[in-house]
This record gives sequence, structure tokens and C-alpha cells, in this order.
Amino acid sequence: MTGGHPGALTPAEEEFRGRVRALLAEERVRALAAEIAAYPPDTEAARLPVHRWLGERGWLAPNWPEEYGGAGLGAAEAALVTEEMTLAGIPDDVHVLGIDIVGRFLLEVGTEEQKKRYLPALAAGEEIATVLFTEPEAGSDLSALRTTARRDGDGWRLYGRKSFNMKSQFGDVALCAARTTESSVAMHGITLFLLPLRSPGVHVEPLPSLCNDRFTVVVVDGVRLTGADVVGEVDNGWALMNDLLQLERTGIDFHAKARRLLDLVTERAAATGRLDDPAYALPLAALDARLRAGHAMAWQQVRNLEAGRPDPVGSAMAKWYVTEQIRPVLDLGLEICGLEGVLTAWDGAAPDGGVLEAALRMGPSHRLASGTSEVMLSLIAANGLGLL
Amino acid sequence: MMRGAPDPYAAVPGELRELFGPELAPVLRRLGERPRGAADGPSARLGEEDAGTRDAVWATLAELGALGPRAEEERTALAGLMGAALYQSPYADTVTAAALLTATGDPAYGPLLDAAALGAAPLALAVREDGLSGPARPGALTVRREADGYAVDGRRPFTAFAADCGHLVVVGTRSDGETVLALVPREQPGVRLTRRDDIGRGDLYAVGLDRAAVSGAVHPVGALWPGVLAAARVRHAAALAGAARAAVDLAAERLRSRHAFGGPLARQQAPAHRLAALAAEAATAAAFARAQAAAADRGRDVRRGGAQALYLAGELARRAAAESVHLHGAHGMTEAGDAQLFLRRAAVDSQWLGTGTELLREAAASAPVPNPR
Repeated sequence: MTGGHPGALTPAEEEFRGRVRALLAEERVRALAAEIAAYPPDTEAARLPVHRWLGERGWLAPNWPEEYGGAGLGAAEAALVTEEMTLAGIPDDVHVLGIDIVGRFLLEVGTEEQKKRYLPALAAGEEIATVLFTEPEAGSDLSALRTTARRDGDGWRLYGRKSFNMKSQFGDVALCAARTTESSVAMHGITLFLLPLRSPGVHVEPLPSLCNDRFTVVVVDGVRLTGADVVGEVDNGWALMNDLLQLERTGIDFHAKARRLLDLVTERAAATGRLDDPAYALPLAALDARLRAGHAMAWQQVRNLEAGRPDPVGSAMAKWYVTEQIRPVLDLGLEICGLEGVLTAWDGAAPDGGVLEAALRMGPSHRLASGTSEVMLSLIAANGLGLL
Repeated sequence: MMRGAPDPYAAVPGELRELFGPELAPVLRRLGERPRGAADGPSARLGEEDAGTRDAVWATLAELGALGPRAEEERTALAGLMGAALYQSPYADTVTAAALLTATGDPAYGPLLDAAALGAAPLALAVREDGLSGPARPGALTVRREADGYAVDGRRPFTAFAADCGHLVVVGTRSDGETVLALVPREQPGVRLTRRDDIGRGDLYAVGLDRAAVSGAVHPVGALWPGVLAAARVRHAAALAGAARAAVDLAAERLRSRHAFGGPLARQQAPAHRLAALAAEAATAAAFARAQAAAADRGRDVRRGGAQALYLAGELARRAAAESVHLHGAHGMTEAGDAQLFLRRAAVDSQWLGTGTELLREAAASAPVPNPR
């Protein structure tokens, strides 16, 4: 990370970051990152040993209580782990899905039984949890979801089709949103369930995408769940999704991805001599400024979380701002790398192992994931400016 | 600001937050505004009421200790509030000039610094030799050794609030290439002031120095000026981010009150999203400035961060002002509306401490490994 840290880390946080960074600089982690970068097509990272190495120390979920496998630390340490993993080239999807989202939901509103069953295994990197919210006709507008939980005695049977989710082919359990009550108000009547993914009645099909990692389509066909599988209150899923997804949305993870890319592009510019040309050096300095600003904004959200004063408008601003920088970073990367930038990891001669090419394909996902740019702008306009 | 959200100006005492808050902002925005074409003529004199208000605000700043030594975090937060109110005064240059005087370690400046902290001696900062070169490269200054001290020759055609200040803190490049500081009393035959007529219609002066007597020594400040300038840029970035947000808020207010196409314009997604994007950029620029101010308080070098923060905020302030005028429709073009104030002031303020290109060049030259030049 260049240019100092905007989070004004405490000595304890600095020390924690140093320890995490040292672990991630070990040869076994570097070898793993290189191996992942060189995966053949249709192979993707899921249950990684580095998750276990972090988990052994309580660092995979450092902000969780120790009794659930965390380290009893705060939001800053969680943000530092996210940053350091990404900067070390470790894919973060499994971490974001299982720890930042599913784990967060369980910590906030899960039963003690649910916490004991799932959290330690997730924090240890032994199990994977995924998220099944999106459907073919319900993306940003989750209130349109059609997956149904039909009453079956003292429980429910789930029927529906979830799409555009990640890592479900490797997952053990998923946080699944389903409609439990029909209502004229679309947001009412949605419930969150813990759905065991390796159940009869759950069919997972990979859906190839632009990215190296595939989407999956998950068809749920009559899986029976009980009250013990409900997360939070029945029919209250919409409010939970709205409230808790905001806690995950600091922009820290997206910033780290953008920063890693910009650093690679800058190094490439230095290696090719283009850094000596103001036509390239000045746009690089401008993007560096934008990412440093975005980093400061993202860290402000982390500090707000730590202070128990999350700012949904600020979080939306941070997410929007940081993800909007990725496209110009990629554009400048192409300008600097030229045609070498389009060579894939499988070409064998691509600069930096084809990272830029893979990032170009992944680029559009950042403005879509965790709330699209338009959803962020609507949130800011409505709640921050009194518009719409 | 969303209810319950953390206050970005929390570092500023409550009285100052109130002084530059939304209630008085419409008054402060127009404080010191002159008719166009006033140049150095009679109509450039401030009206009594205007002058009284300006003095009262200045006195309040002094009374609340804002002009004395403060942490950069607090100063930067205050600059953000002042920027949002478009408050024009010698405050920014007084703080910067005082920091440079203090950094020389010359005890002879002590009484003047004490008076500045009490609001009794605003300081004008005179750095630029022309409109093309930014403050990172102070203009030429001829330093003469006289029988009873030093005198300086030079011109500083872009000096703010020179007429309000008893002393000019002149920063310049001597013939041997050294950057020096000379404290020049304004009331003397060797100092000539002419009010400029610029788009901001404020208090911009051309200063001519013709064998102007220097108070005390002439100090080499080549090692001090970049750090002092960097901190000034951080504060100025916060001010511009504040102005950008205020321009957005003004436009949002207009969209809520203006009905067209069967309802309030606020319901239209296109303008709402454009303002939301600008608000996000303003908050991000402000967060960057705050982070740099905190870094400065920790003794970190903020030269690169200061240049970058100001680059972002300056460009944004112009863009936000232009969008605000646009979303006001033709009303935004009128003198009666306030949106045009943001546009005119941003043209001056966005390049006051360096144009975007100058700032980027400096940032590129000072980047750590890999080291863009």
C-alpha cells in the first residue's frame, strides 16, 4: 500500500497488520497465490489452505468473538485482513460471502445454536457459506424474488431458482431468501433461511461468465427446513437484508482490488519506461489520488462501524466512488500495456501473469456487486440529499 | 447529512459550527462581493453593513481561538465549514503565513504572531510573481542589503486581502535560487496596492514592492515552505470540498422546490443521480483532506497527499458549481441566484494554490516506489 495509511492505525493495529502481512508473505502463501493465478480455465479458488492458516490464529474473522473462532478484535482488524489478503493476490469471494455476509447475519440475529454450529467452522476456514438472494428476475430489486417457502407442518419446503451467485458449488450452507408470506407490499413476507447446500433437492449448476470464476444457478426443489433454520424473524428478511448488507459495504475490499491493479499498472509503466512520459505519469498520479481519497473514505466507514455509528449514506458513497475508479484504472492499464495487456494467463508470455486481462473481464462486476452503482446513487440521493 | 451519521465537522467547536452553519451561510456567501467592473474605483469599497459583518465574523474567529495554533485536523474541518459558506477572508493566508513565520524560529516574530492569533494582525501571503506560476515556485524577489536592514523589490500581482493586512509575508526566490521569506509592513512608500477585478469580485490585489523595507531579517525558507504549503493545500482542499457539497445542496434544494413535468424535479432520477455522484465525490475529497490533516498532526510528510487532495477538490469544486448552475436552469445564471457565486469563486479558488496540472506534476514527482516523475 503506498502513501501511508488513512485509517491512522493505532500501534496495536499496526502490529496486527504486520503480523498478518508477515503470514501472507510466507513462501507457502506466495506459492498458493501464484498457483491460483495460473489455474487452468474453469478451475477456481474456493476452500484455500490460507483460510485455515489465518483461521488457526483467529484472523480470518478477527472481529468475531473468540468463542466463535474470531480474535475478539474490531472492524479495523477485519478491514486490514481484507486489504492484506487482496494485496497478496488471494481471492476474497469466499471470505466476503462466508465471513462478511453470512457470518455477520448470524452474529447479529442468529440463534445461539446457529452461531455454535456454523461460525467456528467458517472462522476456521473449514466450511464455506454462500449467499442466495439474487434470482433471474430479482437482482437489484430483491423485493421481486419468487423463491417460495411453503408451509409444511411445523416447517417449510423451499422451491425456487437462484442465479448469479458465487461459490455455491463449493458451499456447505447458504443464506437463502425466500417468500414465506404473500403480500401486496413486495418487501413484506421475505424470510432468510440457512439452506444446507449438500441436500437432496438442491441442484447447483455452474454458469460460465466473463470472469474466471463462474456464477452458479441453484435450483431448490422442495428442501424441507424448520424454524431452527430461520435467520432472524419470519417475514422480516427484507429489513435484515437492507440493514446488514450495509455493514459489509465499506468499500475496503473494492479499494484493495483497485489499488492492487493500479500498483501493477504503475510497475508496468516503470518497467516499460512509460512512467517517464508525462502523458502516462500524470493520469497515473491522478488515479493514485482518487484511490487514496477512496481509501480514506472507506476507512472512515470502518471507523464509523467501530464507533457503533454506521453511516449508510457514507458507505454507499465509498462503495460507489471506489468501484467507479476501477474502469479508468483498467483503461489506463491498457494504454500503458498496449496489446501485451490483452494476453491471458494461459498465453505464457502475458505481463504479470495476465492479471490485467483477467481484471478487464472482471471489471464490470465491481459496479454490480454489493449493490449496483445506480442503487448506491439512489440511496445517496434519497437519504443524503432528500431527492427522489 | 443523514440523521445519526457522524459529523465530519466534529473537530470544530460548536460556536464555530454555528457561525458557518446553514443559517448564516447565505449571508456569508455574499460577504465582500463587489459590483462587477468595480476594479480599484469607489464602488470597490465595502458597504458599512458588509464591513461590519465581516469584522464581526473575524472577531468571533479570534475570540474562539481559531486564529491561533490549532491541530491541523481542527483547522481542516473549519476550512471545510468556511468553504461550504464561501466565506472569504484573510483567514487562510493568515494561518499559512503564521505557520511559515513560526517555522523560521525567529523570536522577533513573536509579538506579531501573538497579535495575529488575537485577530489584531491579519497577514497577507504574497508568493506568486504572475498568474502562470504556482506557489510551489515562489516568484523572483530581489533582496537588498540596506544600511538599516533589508529591502525587497518584486511584484506580487495575485495577493489576497492585502489591503486588510498590516504585514505582507513575502515568499520569493532570490537571485541565488534560495527561497526566502521577508516580512514587509504594508504601510510604507515602497508598497503599492491595486485592487484587481477578477471573476470572484473579492479582495484580490496586485502588490508592487519597490525597495520596500523589510521588518527584521530575510530568512531562507527553502526547506520550510514546501511543508507549510502542503498543509495549506490540505486545508484548502477541505474548503473546496465543502464548497462542492454546498453547491450540491443548493441544487438539491432547487430541485425540491421547482415543479416541472408534473412534479418536483427532485423526483427525476437523472439530476438526482448526478448530484448524488457529486455529493459522494465531495465527501470522499473531504475524507482525504481529513486523513491528510491527521497525518500532518502525526508529523507525516503530506506534500504529495496535499497536492493530490487539492487536485481532486479543485476540479470537483468547479464541476459541482457548474452542475449546480445548470440544474438551476436560467435562474442559475442570474445574479439573484447564489449558484453563480459558487461557479465564480471556484474559478479562482481551485487554482489558488496550484492548477490541477501543476498539482499532478508535483504529485507524480514525489510518489514513492514505483516513482513516477
